[in-house]
Amino acid sequence: MTKNNQIVLEMEHINKTFPGVVALDDVSIDLRKGEVLGILGENGAGKSTLIKILAGTYLKDSGSIIIEGKKVDFKNPAEAMDEGIRVIYQELNTLENLTAAENIFLGEQELRKPFPIISWKKMVEESKRILKQLNVDINPNTVMEDLSVSEKQVIEVAKAISKKAKILVMDEPTAALSEGDKDSLFEIIKTLKESGVSIIYISHRLKEIFEITDRVTVLRDGKKIQTVNTQDSDDNELVTMMVGRDISEMYPKRKVPIGEVVMKVKNLKAEEVEDVSFELRRGEILGIFGLLGSGKTHLVKALFGANPIKEGEIYLKGNKVNIKKPWQARDNNIGLVPVDRKMDGLALMLGVKENITLANIQDLGKGFLIKKSVEREKANRWVKNLGISTPSINQAVNSLSGGNQQKVVLARWLESGSKVIILNEPTRGIDVGSKVEIYKLMQDLCEKGAAVIMISSELPEILSISDRILVISRGRITGEYSTEEATEEKLMQTACIR
Amino acid sequence: MAHNQEEAGVKKEKKFYISNTVTLVIVLIAMFVFFSLTSTHFLSTYNIVSMISNLSFMGIVAAVLTMVMISGEIDFSIGGNIGLTSVVAAILVDSGIPGWLVLILCLLMGCAIGVFNGFLVTVVGVNSIIATVGTMSVWRGLAYTFSDGRSVLAVDPVIDFLGRGNIVNIPFPIILFIIVFALCYVVMNQSKWGRKIYAVGVNPMASFLSGINVKQVKFLTFVLCGLAAALGGLILTSLSMVGMPQHGQGLELTIISAILLGGTALGGGKGQILGTLTGILILSVLLNGLTMLDVYYYHIQIAQGAVLVAVVATYEVRQKRLQQ
Repeated sequence: MTKNNQIVLEMEHINKTFPGVVALDDVSIDLRKGEVLGILGENGAGKSTLIKILAGTYLKDSGSIIIEGKKVDFKNPAEAMDEGIRVIYQELNTLENLTAAENIFLGEQELRKPFPIISWKKMVEESKRILKQLNVDINPNTVMEDLSVSEKQVIEVAKAISKKAKILVMDEPTAALSEGDKDSLFEIIKTLKESGVSIIYISHRLKEIFEITDRVTVLRDGKKIQTVNTQDSDDNELVTMMVGRDISEMYPKRKVPIGEVVMKVKNLKAEEVEDVSFELRRGEILGIFGLLGSGKTHLVKALFGANPIKEGEIYLKGNKVNIKKPWQARDNNIGLVPVDRKMDGLALMLGVKENITLANIQDLGKGFLIKKSVEREKANRWVKNLGISTPSINQAVNSLSGGNQQKVVLARWLESGSKVIILNEPTRGIDVGSKVEIYKLMQDLCEKGAAVIMISSELPEILSISDRILVISRGRITGEYSTEEATEEKLMQTACIR
Repeated sequence: MAHNQEEAGVKKEKKFYISNTVTLVIVLIAMFVFFSLTSTHFLSTYNIVSMISNLSFMGIVAAVLTMVMISGEIDFSIGGNIGLTSVVAAILVDSGIPGWLVLILCLLMGCAIGVFNGFLVTVVGVNSIIATVGTMSVWRGLAYTFSDGRSVLAVDPVIDFLGRGNIVNIPFPIILFIIVFALCYVVMNQSKWGRKIYAVGVNPMASFLSGINVKQVKFLTFVLCGLAAALGGLILTSLSMVGMPQHGQGLELTIISAILLGGTALGGGKGQILGTLTGILILSVLLNGLTMLDVYYYHIQIAQGAVLVAVVATYEVRQKRLQQ
């Protein structure tokens, strides 16, 4: 890369507050032409908010954005697009029934002038040119659903650069990719860099940051910690900046005696779940690791009765159980903390108290009516025990921070007396301090005789907190490791077995 | 839905937060005072009592429909249900069946109608707007078919009492109206089932994943709504002394307007029984007051529509302001 210090983008003193949370607190970044700037931070550090402000999706509260010396003020995504800002989000946004070429030119079809008729020939030719420029071999006429996840992602990149792209933002682009696919993505990033595109690369995976970025800005709890040249830094420095504490404090692990088998799953088949068997023991934290699309969330839903079980058996303490609906799971003392807290976990408009008692409304007094004193007492107890920080138990949960919201969901299942608690990505989108508290709570539960299934795609988390790790890929268990033998590489490799 | 959730619930830490319901009550009182001052007849006991008697059958349906709407669904078939109940009641009375039995049969038919709507929405999975706009037309069509398009006289002591009887000088429909509202209020504000209705309306997925039988909760609200509409139909038949297939025509929109006016959200999860009560009262006072002032009926319609739009628009404006 030629040394080029021309600054393409400056975001200065950006502030953004959501009800109850300061998402960004005086954050400034700058981006040079043709560089890859990493933005590193834990979930909830403010990475996504920063990007959404750049993309015009969120309005900033204060601060300024300067692109090539010109101050801009985006009111919507279209205005940001006009300035050459392209964002590729973590979740792919491709239309499955259309061809690759149609997706690349979505909304911007080449027209056969002077008539408003789409020129299919020109569109396909242009797509070929762009894909060639990215050094990939994909037929533009292929229907999207026939492409692999990584190929779909390439199409997203092609779509982003089909129109004059100055700044390309990639939000956790490797979340669904295997090691090999990741390498080819990095090749594409290098090609783009050489052609003068500036790239913001968001990740919380250190290895990738060292592999691909020139500089890296670390965010923590909505604040910018520092920007460093990647080659002048190392793992330790970045981690310390990122979590603000030592790794051993980050993942506290206690020895809890592990007892008898409390849950046994035998040859389970359900939607996206091909054949899953495992045992769960009292006092154990069983980690399940899998990439996006591995079937992990479907497995959770099947275990909890939210998705129908096609074949296979579930035993609790040796007795076969028939769980067809979530209330049967609840009555069998199984609890679920879903992956999407806001969509699946909480009734956001309702208060802390209502959300804590949501799974056990029947227990709020005898007969038809709710006994308010019983409910208040229960809610207060859990707010105190779990240290949920809220002005009152009547506060609507949507104004709580992610960590406190997660504790509310957890409190619901503690109130329900769950003995098997399934947590799907328990620390997604919550600040570092709350993460540590969640880990401690999980282990408290184990000490009290419960068993925990923790689904996670966070490697450090799953490696440090689990007692045993299962790896799932394409709906099958592809590996089982004790904590001692597990490493990041082994888990990633096993997760990519098809 | 998700959008809705984010918008609401932001009410916090505001020192002078006047709830929408309180605003509505102020509007109601203002209207009341206005009509009392401008019309000589408005404030007479006779006028007030007859106004409330006339709104009571609407109010009964509105209270229960509010529960359906808080659960995130809607029932447009209430008007058709009223027409069908009215015709069936009159035909049964006409054929010599005793009044009390007619009453029970009609209420059972109302439940059956609710069961059918609930089945379509929760078991088959038809969107409730489509399902009940469809059944609305079916019930109405049946009413016309059974009555051959004619009015049928319905004179029977039990049916008469329902709409025109008095207990200690209070018209019986007003008593029914108060009882139904009180029951709905207790259900929605103090009962376990009411809590489930709110939870299901706010977030059906989170409720389901917390072990709430979402379909059962919704189903039951539909059944009650069918029952309430049948009761409304019986009162209307009693008030008019005839069963008419046209009874309740267009009433679904008036009732839904009153509920929306009262602050219930179309997406579910948000609403108050007392809000609906105020909404019904505002629409009735407006209609009655303007009629007393000899305002042309066409213009009254314009006024009713304008009030609905204006009030709901202020909710949105206030919501936006609260967010900032």
